[in-house]
Amino acid sequence: MSRPALLRAQGLSCRFGGLLAVDGLDFSLAPGELAGLIGPNGAGKTTCFNLFTGRVRPIAGRIDFDQRPIAGLRPSRINQMGLARTFQNIRLFDDLSVLENVLVGFHGRLKASFLSAILRLPGYAAEEERMFTRAAELLDLVGLARLSDERADSLAYGQQRLLEIARALATQPRLLLLDEPAAGMNPQETAQLASLVRRLRNEMGLTILLIEHDMRFVMNLCERLTVLDQGRIIAQGAPAQVQQNPAVIRAYLGEEAGRA
Amino acid sequence: MSRGWLTAGPLPAAHTTRRRDQRLTILACLAAAGGLWLLQAFASGYVVHMTCVAALFAVLAVSYNLINGVTGQFSLEPNAFVACGAYVTALLTLSPAEKAASFILEPIIWPLSMISIPLLPALLIAGLLTALMGFLMGFPVFRVRGDYLAIVTLGFGEVIRVVANNTQSITNGPLGLKGIPHLTDLWWSGGLLALTLFVIVRLVNSSYGRALKAVREDEVAAEAMGINAFWHKMLAFTTSAFFEGVAGGLLAHLITTISPSLFTFFLTFNLLIIIVVGGLGSNTGAFLAALLFTYGGEWLRVVEEPLNLFGLHIPGIPGMRMVIFSLILVAVMIFMRQGLLGRREFSWRWLLAFFDRRRA
Repeated sequence: MSRPALLRAQGLSCRFGGLLAVDGLDFSLAPGELAGLIGPNGAGKTTCFNLFTGRVRPIAGRIDFDQRPIAGLRPSRINQMGLARTFQNIRLFDDLSVLENVLVGFHGRLKASFLSAILRLPGYAAEEERMFTRAAELLDLVGLARLSDERADSLAYGQQRLLEIARALATQPRLLLLDEPAAGMNPQETAQLASLVRRLRNEMGLTILLIEHDMRFVMNLCERLTVLDQGRIIAQGAPAQVQQNPAVIRAYLGEEAGRA
Repeated sequence: MSRGWLTAGPLPAAHTTRRRDQRLTILACLAAAGGLWLLQAFASGYVVHMTCVAALFAVLAVSYNLINGVTGQFSLEPNAFVACGAYVTALLTLSPAEKAASFILEPIIWPLSMISIPLLPALLIAGLLTALMGFLMGFPVFRVRGDYLAIVTLGFGEVIRVVANNTQSITNGPLGLKGIPHLTDLWWSGGLLALTLFVIVRLVNSSYGRALKAVREDEVAAEAMGINAFWHKMLAFTTSAFFEGVAGGLLAHLITTISPSLFTFFLTFNLLIIIVVGGLGSNTGAFLAALLFTYGGEWLRVVEEPLNLFGLHIPGIPGMRMVIFSLILVAVMIFMRQGLLGRREFSWRWLLAFFDRRRA
């Protein structure tokens, strides 16, 4: 018997004006999966992430995370349930330091009230101490430990992507959505990222879904791929199968190539 | 560039410096208290009055900065909060006889006509009521962002003034309240300033403060990281309302006469200038700019007096100080876009490092 899905979307649709960005999507992720979401530009991949994380509301369909409905909840609530993401166009807190960016990630799970934070009561002090320790560990994990006092916007592009991952990890997610994590990285950085993503899954037990255009990265890393085109799933399966799928080739290369 | 916190070298272990910082802060508080005592004992009534005003403006600026600078929600309502605090406190402390004498157009309504309580509980009630007003206001206000937020809060500021003008049986309308006991002294205003700085600086440096800054930097990302942007804005807004209300109460007991015309948009505008000149988001900047603004305005009076310069007689020009003040503002905005301090904050580490460099 297979375990219940960690994330399940049923008949999910989303419209922007006249454009049906996501059209009756049925999708699910099993716990511990490392899956990829690919498709040509404008296929609706990022919109899917926005739907899953509550940033955009669906016009139809339902989303369940850990068998609880999450469609219509606030993004912060969904995050606190254990679903974290990174952004395609990096959205760090530019004016804060690298360390502070990660510390912010812990805030959603802070138990101490703001009064006990102001008075630095023992409960808050202990939580803050743990936060700092964990944040340092996370920065170490992504390899940014020596940059922890720098401003976030002073980091190189690839480092900013890593910082986004560290910040998302700080929210203690069970499912991590990575939106083009390798964009703007050189081959060496991409290789390091791949091993980091594997470690997150294998050692921290995270379920990971990622959007990526770097096909080598996706094919080597993901165990299952879902291909979106014009808001619909056109293929799903192991990377090798998907690669051979005529519908996928057509979507990527055009009508002629698909028929050939 | 606001990289100020980087210039003092690598961070030492937090535990060793926290002790030291606490001691230095306590020393500084004692020194400030000593300064207040000296002022109280030896300074003229005018200097004492100006220092009280400066301290209260510093309270207003630091609390206004919490919502505008730290949380990044550009709002324009502090005049409403100050008015609320001032009226509530004054109505609670005024003696029944005084109230009966001033409410000549319409008598004051029943429970208020009998009440007269000491300043401290009156201030607390005023602070809490203003905080409640801020809390209720927050629900409609934080449905919008940016320019719209500014307009909506500006509207609320005007509404309060109009209400104060028209609820004659409570506020005495445009006649205002007179004969408020002169209870605010250096200890009250200095004490409130110390309390405000303590609470707001601690808040900003806590996890909650980081969350507020995250909302300022990128609300979408903050939400995605589990921070409920709405409740955090409410937290900043309500806290800011509380202190602005209490400061309004002390202001009323400093100037002893209040009327709706005192709490126009102009008050908000002055506070806005203070926090922008100080550096939006910097508590230190708000504090320093408030002092500069209140004292500076007085020092500049010199330019309005007739002057004899090497036998050359220059007649005083009334209003000249506002011209000079405006020129200074323009210069600050041209040469220091981020305000005097940007988003930097004073820290003992920075000060000690500064002296170390001097010695080297």
